[in-house]
Amino acid sequence: MLLVSIAAFSLTHAAPGGPIATLLENAPTSPEQIEAIKEKYKLGDPLVVQYWDWISGVVTGDFGRSILTNETVLNEITSRLWVTVTLNIAGIAIAILVGVPLGILAALRRGRFVDRALVTISVFFMSTPVFALGLFALYLFGFRAGLFPLFGPGEGVVDRIHHLALPAIVLGLAGMGFTMRLTRAAMLEQFDADYVAFARARGLGSFHVTLRYAFRNALIPVTTAAGLLFTGLLTGSVLVETVFGLPGLGTLLVSAVTGGDFTMVQGLLLFIAAWIILVNIAVDVLYVFIDPRVEFDKARG
Amino acid sequence: MVASRSDATTTKWLARKISLRRVPPVFMTLSLVVVGIVVFLAIFGSFLEPYDPFQQDLLDTSAPPSSAHWLGTDPLGRDILSRIIAGADAAIIGPFIVAFTGLVAGSAFGILSGYMGGTADMVIQRLVDFMFALPGLLIAIVIVGVVGGGYWLAVVVLSILNVAGGVRLIRGAALEQRALPYVEAARTLGVPRWRIMYLHIWRNISPIVFANAALDFALALVALSSLSYLGLGSQPGEAEWGRMLSENQSLLFSNPAGVLAPALAIVFFATSVTIIGDWVYDRFSYSGRTGR
Repeated sequence: MLLVSIAAFSLTHAAPGGPIATLLENAPTSPEQIEAIKEKYKLGDPLVVQYWDWISGVVTGDFGRSILTNETVLNEITSRLWVTVTLNIAGIAIAILVGVPLGILAALRRGRFVDRALVTISVFFMSTPVFALGLFALYLFGFRAGLFPLFGPGEGVVDRIHHLALPAIVLGLAGMGFTMRLTRAAMLEQFDADYVAFARARGLGSFHVTLRYAFRNALIPVTTAAGLLFTGLLTGSVLVETVFGLPGLGTLLVSAVTGGDFTMVQGLLLFIAAWIILVNIAVDVLYVFIDPRVEFDKARG
Repeated sequence: MVASRSDATTTKWLARKISLRRVPPVFMTLSLVVVGIVVFLAIFGSFLEPYDPFQQDLLDTSAPPSSAHWLGTDPLGRDILSRIIAGADAAIIGPFIVAFTGLVAGSAFGILSGYMGGTADMVIQRLVDFMFALPGLLIAIVIVGVVGGGYWLAVVVLSILNVAGGVRLIRGAALEQRALPYVEAARTLGVPRWRIMYLHIWRNISPIVFANAALDFALALVALSSLSYLGLGSQPGEAEWGRMLSENQSLLFSNPAGVLAPALAIVFFATSVTIIGDWVYDRFSYSGRTGR
């Protein structure tokens, strides 16, 4: 976390012209104005001092104020958090609930028509940019079929679900190609293992062998994939939020980055880093539950 | 930091290895045709464009498709078809640089790491682990955005972020080769280490290297167009498929064909390159040359 905070801090100060250029927004300036701004944001101090001021604020929950909106960074993030979290959780759920069963199905029908069709579909979804998928969905289901609203987050619970449904489906489908491909590969590997042949030889039902034996062992790579998927979808939600005009963390990041809002970028980067680290810890913990052979200290690697 | 990473490689590797072995030849042919068309447009496009892709016509903006403008015009009155043709350059050059950097650096560090082992391996692996844990595109968004954007900056940032995946994959392949008799034989004969690494091993794992480069190419195309879509990659005015989508998005409901055509171009091109990469891998690595 410390490294991330230093990286985030140095990056925003490495921009051409530094924060001062952003604050002035190319307006004609006098040296006095520059001095006044330096004074206000303490930009005159050495970088180490500035960093210390910022990080000691962060520890106490004070991320500073956004330069563009003058709202506190923490408020901006928490007020938009629900959009991104909902999108990500729904997206992950779709990617896993659809992708994993289809992956198992493809593995069971290895080499047959169903398998080929599913593999082709997964390649298609993996090579399609999320924003392109989003625009197609927006046109077909939002405009043509009129099933979903075209823009914004909506008001009230039901309306919000309605507004977020299409973006979540798009995000989920983008992740689905990945989970399907991985599940298929992991299942095929298990089907080739001796214990599966043995279980079949003992006359155990195909259903039993598939789910109780092979799938349990295939779960480990699939869990790893889910962890990677989480970071992948985080990026994807930046694009999906932009396509659908949703006020989430992704659109906040883009506007902060393009607007040169350095306190906001720093805050968001810290937040995202914490998110990713938490997901990784959660995945490590899950391993222990899935596979009793994995012990905690080993999982630390 | 996280134990799961080595499993991730294995599974990613397996996913590539197993899937798509049976992509019907029809798709392979189609893919070659698509790539051929894009390359052709990138080279000879300027002779085929019906209009100057940068010429604005403020009297004829946001026009629907017509016999004069097959895909209509964008909000600045530029011919959409001409801009799609002009965008083929950007769709090839950037991703090619990213894939090529990945190929060279991935081979160099991957084989070094896998063959030499020891300290070099450990240092390289820690770096790769670190880079793997980063959400690549998100980092690219922040760096490119904060530093000020531009197509070439985006290409450089993606090139660097992309190396880790190649290093990990190629290291795994090199580790496998190290145990094979031909390497031992070469070592016994006193062949220098660098020669074993880069002439013997590299040649034997080259199908993996090239298949991976093709996949990198497709991913880089998607990443670059995503950055452009967010307004971070290419500069305003440049003809780039991702940027065209964001510029024309307001026309989505009046001229869907014109808006979605660049999206289709990205999807078809990226899918085709992926399919070709997988095919190259299957074709050459299963002739027994890699001993698997």
